[in-house]
Amino acid sequence: MKRLAFDIGGTFTDFVFEDDDTIHTLKVPTTPEDPAVGVIEGMRHLEQAAGLDAGDLNAVLHATTVATNAIIERKGGRTALITTDGFRDILIIGRQKRYETYDLYIKPPKPLVQRRDIFEVVERVGYDGEIVIALDLPSLDTVIDRIAEGNYEAVAVALLHAYAAPAHEQEIRDRLRQRLPDIDVSISSEVSPKFREYERTNTTVANSYVKPIVSRYVRHLGEALSTKGFQNEFFIMQSSGGLVSPEFARNFPIRIVESGPAAGVLMARDAAAEEGFDHVIAFDMGGTTAKLGAVDDGVPSISPTFEVDPVRYKRGSGLPINTPAVELLEIGAGGGSVARADLGTIAVGPDSAGAEPGPVCYGRGGTSPTVTDANLVLGYLDPDYFNDGAFTLNVDAAREAIQRKIAEPLDLSTEDAAWGIHLIATNNMEHAIRIVSVERGRDPRRYAMVAFGGAGPLHAAKLARKIGVPQVIIPKNAGVGSAVGLLGADARLDASATRLLRLNETSGDTLRQLYSELEVRVRKDLRRMAQPDEPIWSRFAYMRFAGQGFEIHVPLPDGPIGDDYPRAAEAAFRNAYAARHRFSDEQAAVEAVDWYLVATIETEKSATGSITVPSAGTPSARTRSAFFPDAGGWLETQVLNRAGLIPGNAIKGPTIIADPDSTAVVPPGDSVEATSNGHLVIRIGAEDRS
Amino acid sequence: MSEREMDALTLTVIWNGIMSIAEELGITLRHTAFSEGVREGDDFSTAVFDRQGRMIAQGNFSPGHLGSMPFVAQHVREYFPEENLEPGDAIALNDSFMGSGHFPDVFQVMPVFLDGSIIGYVATSAHQVDMGGAAPGSQKVHGVTESYQEGLRILPVKLVRAGNFDEDILRIILGNVRMPDKVRGDLAAQHGANLTAAERLCQLHRDHGTARVEHAHDIILDRTEMHMREALAKVPDGTYSFEDYMDDYGTDTDPIKVAVDITFDDGTVTLDFSRSSDQVPAAINSYINYTRAYAVFGIKVFCDAHFPQNAGGMRPITVTAREGSFFNPTFPAPSGGRAILQIRIFDAINGAMAKAMPERAMGAFSHWSNPNIGGIDDRTGRPFIAYDVILAGYGGRADSDGLEGMSPVMNCSNIPVEVHETNNPIRVQRMEFIPDTGGAGKHRGGCGVRKDIELLNSRATLSLLGDRHKYQPYGLFGGEAGALGETILNPHRNSEPLGSKEIREINKGDVVSIRLSGAGGYGDPEDRDPLAIENDLLDGYISRKD
Repeated sequence: MKRLAFDIGGTFTDFVFEDDDTIHTLKVPTTPEDPAVGVIEGMRHLEQAAGLDAGDLNAVLHATTVATNAIIERKGGRTALITTDGFRDILIIGRQKRYETYDLYIKPPKPLVQRRDIFEVVERVGYDGEIVIALDLPSLDTVIDRIAEGNYEAVAVALLHAYAAPAHEQEIRDRLRQRLPDIDVSISSEVSPKFREYERTNTTVANSYVKPIVSRYVRHLGEALSTKGFQNEFFIMQSSGGLVSPEFARNFPIRIVESGPAAGVLMARDAAAEEGFDHVIAFDMGGTTAKLGAVDDGVPSISPTFEVDPVRYKRGSGLPINTPAVELLEIGAGGGSVARADLGTIAVGPDSAGAEPGPVCYGRGGTSPTVTDANLVLGYLDPDYFNDGAFTLNVDAAREAIQRKIAEPLDLSTEDAAWGIHLIATNNMEHAIRIVSVERGRDPRRYAMVAFGGAGPLHAAKLARKIGVPQVIIPKNAGVGSAVGLLGADARLDASATRLLRLNETSGDTLRQLYSELEVRVRKDLRRMAQPDEPIWSRFAYMRFAGQGFEIHVPLPDGPIGDDYPRAAEAAFRNAYAARHRFSDEQAAVEAVDWYLVATIETEKSATGSITVPSAGTPSARTRSAFFPDAGGWLETQVLNRAGLIPGNAIKGPTIIADPDSTAVVPPGDSVEATSNGHLVIRIGAEDRS
Repeated sequence: MSEREMDALTLTVIWNGIMSIAEELGITLRHTAFSEGVREGDDFSTAVFDRQGRMIAQGNFSPGHLGSMPFVAQHVREYFPEENLEPGDAIALNDSFMGSGHFPDVFQVMPVFLDGSIIGYVATSAHQVDMGGAAPGSQKVHGVTESYQEGLRILPVKLVRAGNFDEDILRIILGNVRMPDKVRGDLAAQHGANLTAAERLCQLHRDHGTARVEHAHDIILDRTEMHMREALAKVPDGTYSFEDYMDDYGTDTDPIKVAVDITFDDGTVTLDFSRSSDQVPAAINSYINYTRAYAVFGIKVFCDAHFPQNAGGMRPITVTAREGSFFNPTFPAPSGGRAILQIRIFDAINGAMAKAMPERAMGAFSHWSNPNIGGIDDRTGRPFIAYDVILAGYGGRADSDGLEGMSPVMNCSNIPVEVHETNNPIRVQRMEFIPDTGGAGKHRGGCGVRKDIELLNSRATLSLLGDRHKYQPYGLFGGEAGALGETILNPHRNSEPLGSKEIREINKGDVVSIRLSGAGGYGDPEDRDPLAIENDLLDGYISRKD
């Protein structure tokens, strides 16, 4: 089987070409004005280097940041919002909570539309779907006249309680299409049919806002692929980790906002599965941030909502998007994170030197010491072989900056200061992981960490030891991790409904009816997928004890919905709650808020996970002095090329494993081995246990 | 205390470690709590103390506990000296003077033992759904003249003995509260969170050794104190005063004077509220810990918003008020609804500090409104309370207009209209900005917000808790005051004006229209950028140019 996967990131477009049992990888610069140009360029490289023939490909799979960037850079289409009379300011008022309690000078996120772009129509629906005030057509026509004059590219319609009764939204959409056929319309009852008006409205507006850009992009890409002769299925990754057709993505572009990171978590899942682990912490540390995701029982943890464009990675500071997304916690701790002396202590991040000027050691004008500078001074990074030898690093400049900005003010030696930066950056990530673990009731001892991104493998072993994770996997091809993850993805569609039901007062009939409505909706979307196969159905719900305000994700039983189904759902909740919080109230009533139906269509994948990687000779015998204060200080440390490792051969730390796109540090006390699957596995505390 | 040698790295690791324990304590509590105040409003607090009861770190949650939490372990130690504590014990209290100024805030303080001796304390306070008294929620303002009407007062008691709740004490508590299941759940949630934190604190001591951790405590407190003194020393020495008035404390009552004198002297500050009115026979008195909480918040905002919160930072700050005054009442002054005051404590400090730090000051906030509509739901025969939080604008400041629609001082989310209507027999008819209400200025104040609520039930009691119907939110440096707020019953029929704290029986079809004041402006309106005026017109924040 031949498949091409690519992940269009902000800076690079990563390719993986699966040619039966061989994998070829490639990185080319992204072409932001028309990302299809970069894709064609990459394909041309692969034609020459790997014999790619687009006409032979079984599938093309891809992930993209195009929707995210449109929002972050506020470069989406000019959008109008139509809402219920009296509620023009829902979007501007938001939920009103400051993301920083002790700062009254914060700036809230800039909404995607301004107050002048928001129009009211006379209508009202009750919480139970009752039509309280019928849609007033003259008020609608007045609004449409104003939209016609306003030069808008897209219109979002979000009315109160539309999740309970979508008729008015549909009527408005139909009237808009009739009168303004060139303007695209999104309605909240289709984009995000869940209660809580601000979040639903924002999601719908964001969908409208990115639609013109995503439509153009998908069209260009499709045309570019067909000029290359490709004529098979072409898929796009959603934030939820499921693939969809371009047709679907065009209609609901808000669902592909987190497509790259979602693919990264799938890669972590698949790499860990090959090594026999199904509980995974995905740890992706790049230049400016670290992203943490999780896989529980082989299933990526999905959150019903996420935030886009947060301020300094603070919760509650971004725009809430109510579509399922792979759960990711992002913190300002990357290789470029800046260290400073503060109150006699070392503080790291969230400010970042970014790629320009970058760390001091890049020699591009950076003067603030960063995590990368510390890793270089500590001997973890090779000054002569960074980023596949693309450029050399200036150790003296890094040492001098750490000396001046950290060591002197705090009265530390230079190596202690560098160690401090490394340690505090790791501590910040430890703290973030603990919060996720506490919130989700995860026990780190049951997890394997999959570390990727340029800086992930440098910090992973230390981090794993701190949180009690017993093993770290450094996957092969980690430098193009999200593109690899695409190869393991299935097509997936989901539908949800808000229906607050107390399970002890709910009949099997009610749930049967609810799920048959959801199935009708999913089947409608399935027709946009060009997928003849009958999907695999699964159900879950967000549930809580009556009176609580946080719901938890609860998988529901498969199969027919009988009269005892509400009881089974309740039992599933009690088990899930007890697993998470270590206690459960047997008397308290249980209620469900949001109900989900998921259709998964397994895509054809390679038969086995063992893809051979071309090998490159024996380990070269290099050593370098590296700093490990827990084991006494500067130690002469062997440096091995990853490509030369012999599978199954355990190597004790301290060891540094060099790879073209990242460097793994194996501290004293841990051990590392390459596996037959091509991954590296670091066993934490291997020596303590032996 | 002299600062002996400790390397920066060890100090960083210990300090970060203690702060993260306080933070995780809060995350656990938020996710296991039943009380809406805890979950949605972050109305809780967490802290880690050393063996002497000095607060080493407080979680960044509600500022409302800034005044009480630093001292709560001391109070506990007075009642329970070390020799009377055993592993697995926990002490509870909710007294208004020792705690956060009203009964719903219940504290649990747990001594942490390692190898048989106490190494410190961990504590949580959480706003419980109910502590008994005259009305659900224990925050009734009207007609409450003594604390005895506000529910159960808990002086420090050993609620948990050797790891188990004392069933006798629990029975007394649960026998006096509405929704005892939720209260039990939240007391257990607090205990569970404390247990996790205690385990982490022990680990920290094992990793670094107790002597070294205690050494770090001294440095943390001294260094924070020094930093706070440096921050305070940047304010020119002198006394800065301000006074303002609240409408009243109920229908046909007198205004309440809110006055502060702030004295900066060589790196210390004293905030004195003595010139304010006497305590009042309505449940909005501000016990000294509550006054202190928002006074400290005000100083933190003006001097350094991102300051680590611990006992050291409190040392150079003195908060005082005449005994028996509104801001330092004596027991049994009622105080359940004192949350209505927090904005006004800050507004008064802000007005005074404008004279010292004009670039940090802002026009006065829109006030907020905390109305309740309660009764028996016709559909179910069960009681309902539509509890609402209506929030509007910030005052203009030196570099920008006031924010629109953002939680002031306290930090909570609004309740979505769709959630409210699903849970209660009400319908919200409008929720929108009121144009032309923000005080004009070089940088204008944020607009007021109007929320119209229709009762769908046969009858209910409406209890209003708002302000700024008589005294406008002030502007600064030539900026104009924000428009007055008002509350109108049935704007579509006879438009009857109501007082800001009125209580009324209402019937099906009645509409109460709550219209918050606009926030104050900053600087001369003549200096306003013409483009900003054009934009305001386009967006409808103003309806005309003058």
